[in-house]
Amino acid sequence: MVVVRLDGELDLASAPLLESEMERPEVGAAARVVLDLRELQFIDSTGLRTIFTAQARSREREQEFAVTRGPEQVQRLLSITRLAEHLRIVDSPEQMLP
Amino acid sequence: MSVGREVGSSGMDLLVEAGAVLATSLDLPTTMSQVARLTVPRLADLCVIDLQAQDGSITEVAVAAGDQQLARDLESLRRRFPIDPGGEHPAARVIRSGAPLLLAEMSSSLLRSFAQGSEHARLMIEHDYHSAAVAPLQARGRTLGALSVLRLADGMPYGEADLALLSELARRAGLAIDNARLFSDLRGAEQRLEAVLVNLAEAITMEDESGRTVFANQAAADLLGVSAPEVLTGAEPGATSGRFLTLDEEGTELAPQDMPGRRLFAGEHPEPMLVRGIVRATGEERWLVVRSSPVVDSATKRITHVVNVFENITVVKRAELAESFMAEASRVLASSMDYTATLARVARLAAPQIADWCAIDVLTDDDEIERVAVHHTDPDKLALLERLDREYRPRTDDPVGIAEVLRSGKPRLYADIKPDALADYARDDRHLELLRELGTTAVIVVPIVGATRAAIGTITLASGPTPRRLTRADLGLAVRLGRRAGTAVERARIYTERSRIAHILQRSLLPESLPEIPGMQVRALYSAAGELNEVGGDFYDVLDYDADRWMLVVGDVVGKGPRAAGVTALARHTLRAAAISGRSPSAMLETLHQALRRQPRGGDLCTVCLVTVRLSAGRTHLNVALAGHEPPLLIEPDGEARQLGRPGTLLGVIDPIKIAETAAELHAGQTLLMFTDGVTEAGRPDDALGSNGLRELCREAPSLSLQGLLERIERAAVERSGGYLHDDIALLALCVSVQPTAER
Repeated sequence: MVVVRLDGELDLASAPLLESEMERPEVGAAARVVLDLRELQFIDSTGLRTIFTAQARSREREQEFAVTRGPEQVQRLLSITRLAEHLRIVDSPEQMLP
Repeated sequence: MSVGREVGSSGMDLLVEAGAVLATSLDLPTTMSQVARLTVPRLADLCVIDLQAQDGSITEVAVAAGDQQLARDLESLRRRFPIDPGGEHPAARVIRSGAPLLLAEMSSSLLRSFAQGSEHARLMIEHDYHSAAVAPLQARGRTLGALSVLRLADGMPYGEADLALLSELARRAGLAIDNARLFSDLRGAEQRLEAVLVNLAEAITMEDESGRTVFANQAAADLLGVSAPEVLTGAEPGATSGRFLTLDEEGTELAPQDMPGRRLFAGEHPEPMLVRGIVRATGEERWLVVRSSPVVDSATKRITHVVNVFENITVVKRAELAESFMAEASRVLASSMDYTATLARVARLAAPQIADWCAIDVLTDDDEIERVAVHHTDPDKLALLERLDREYRPRTDDPVGIAEVLRSGKPRLYADIKPDALADYARDDRHLELLRELGTTAVIVVPIVGATRAAIGTITLASGPTPRRLTRADLGLAVRLGRRAGTAVERARIYTERSRIAHILQRSLLPESLPEIPGMQVRALYSAAGELNEVGGDFYDVLDYDADRWMLVVGDVVGKGPRAAGVTALARHTLRAAAISGRSPSAMLETLHQALRRQPRGGDLCTVCLVTVRLSAGRTHLNVALAGHEPPLLIEPDGEARQLGRPGTLLGVIDPIKIAETAAELHAGQTLLMFTDGVTEAGRPDDALGSNGLRELCREAPSLSLQGLLERIERAAVERSGGYLHDDIALLALCVSVQPTAER
């Protein structure tokens, strides 16, 4: 399992960072990928799109994909956009272990 | 004089003569041989002076003899086989004891006993050394050496009286030798000091109280622009400082009495001083740290001289000034998009900091040279420059100067401008007259280089009529300034162009006017982020799509720039088409979602708040559909606000989407407020307005007109953002007009 920990802001400016992180060999080789959003201070719709791009990439690789529950602003945007319904959300990466 | 009686009259003569001879020389070898010669032949056949060096060895020797060959041989022996200071040689014994020694009769075995080797023994025996007297040479309580007199073969043996006379002679000779030695040490020290000073890289001068330079090294001569130190030491007091225009760090002229050297004589204790010197003859500029130290006469405690050390820090100082100037210029150039105003500030910075005057010209679209900024440190001369520009503006076909630099793109230095050159450059006599009046001594013209590397303008820096003289050393800084200005001008031009396009585009994306809804008021407000330099992603629209139905939309397309503008247009027109074809709000949003998903590049997304309004029997029915957007607020007559609608999926990201429709009725006195997240996120991350902040603002709604409410919200968002919106905001509001709308 690979945990990609995000902190700071996930927006137009930082989205490429996550995209390149997803292409690292160790991420590509893992059976499970968890984006850890717990330290994320802010996300906007570009940031959300990047999470779904990451999810799509994982599905191509037949990996299990999940995100951890983020702080209030992150959760609020996930619920306003109803995108939470399309994600597996866990409380901590350990929950993903078999 | 007791000694006089003992030494007898011939002895007296000797001592008198000794006094006279010894006073004449301060040269040690001369003094030594004079002493030795005094004794031969009156007192001795052979006289030897042995001196002890500081390391204890007995190396210095002077010999006098009636037999010149003997004198030479003995001297040579002494050099090859010096006397052992700890040995039995009578001179060594006397030097050790400090007491005179009489060897009245010397046997060959005695001679052998103190001989410094067989050659010495042979010499002594061959020449029949017979009688000897040795006296210590003393001065200042120390024994310097020994004075030995000898009689050979059948000479009369020395007695006590001879020893007394010899001792007296030795006492005087000791003082003379000591003086000569001291003088020689002093001379040596002086020569060493002078050798050090002459070779030092630092410029050093020594001046006396009158201000006359009594010493200068070559570095000082170089620094002051003269060929040799002698030019300085031969000059009248004050003439040296006259070669320099001396300024302090701020550029105020300094008088000679301000300099540390003169201040020392005035009884002050000056700190090292940083001065800017300009060589009057050449205009060369030098930055110097001047340190002065007093030379105090130990007897009178008065300052007799002052030593000045000039440390040349021109290279360091120029680099420092260049850096600080470039930093300031860069700050000015980055401060505003109004490049004309910015360049004017740069010109004011350049003169006086790096030039006496500065002009900035650009090449216009019509291929003409246009002066955009000019400054001179002297206001009268500035007027002259302005007049020159009016009457004799440079032309693109001029062979030299600005036009040439624009053509070649290469920096030019016109150093040391001669009257002839001006005459060649001037177009007529009047032009020449004005140029002469300007008194320019040197000019640097550098290109303002744009992104394409072509010169889009020039910066002219010039010196004169002040003593400042621009040189090759100033070229580098000027070139950097030109490059930096190029970036700024280019950026400003692109910005201006982009602003203009963005403004036109923005207008095309938003409705020019809002349709009337009978019995209702509709108001919209749009405010773009920053200085309207990019097309924002927010949009709003109001459409009457059926007899009694209207569509109100507020949306946010992700991203900025041309691509977002394209998606904005797509969103507006798709929703319009969907509305006209009679679809429900959720179906309208589904249509837009599919349109976004079909976009060739993919990844375009959009949030929408869509409200349909249906008027029926005096009632206003609302249907709210949200797609990833903040729910609108329904503001009650008392200012209390609540959210309307349920979350729906963000469009363009993922299938399937779920959109809920929420029906509501808008009553008289209530207000519907639709907004984008630029409002709630204003002031993020430290102090975001937030949903709560927006609801608080809504409490002021009862006392405001509908337009007033929107403006109040916009103002709050701008204030939260520190006076500068970082994201666009779009607001759309609807309320029922109650009778005439006087109360609202």
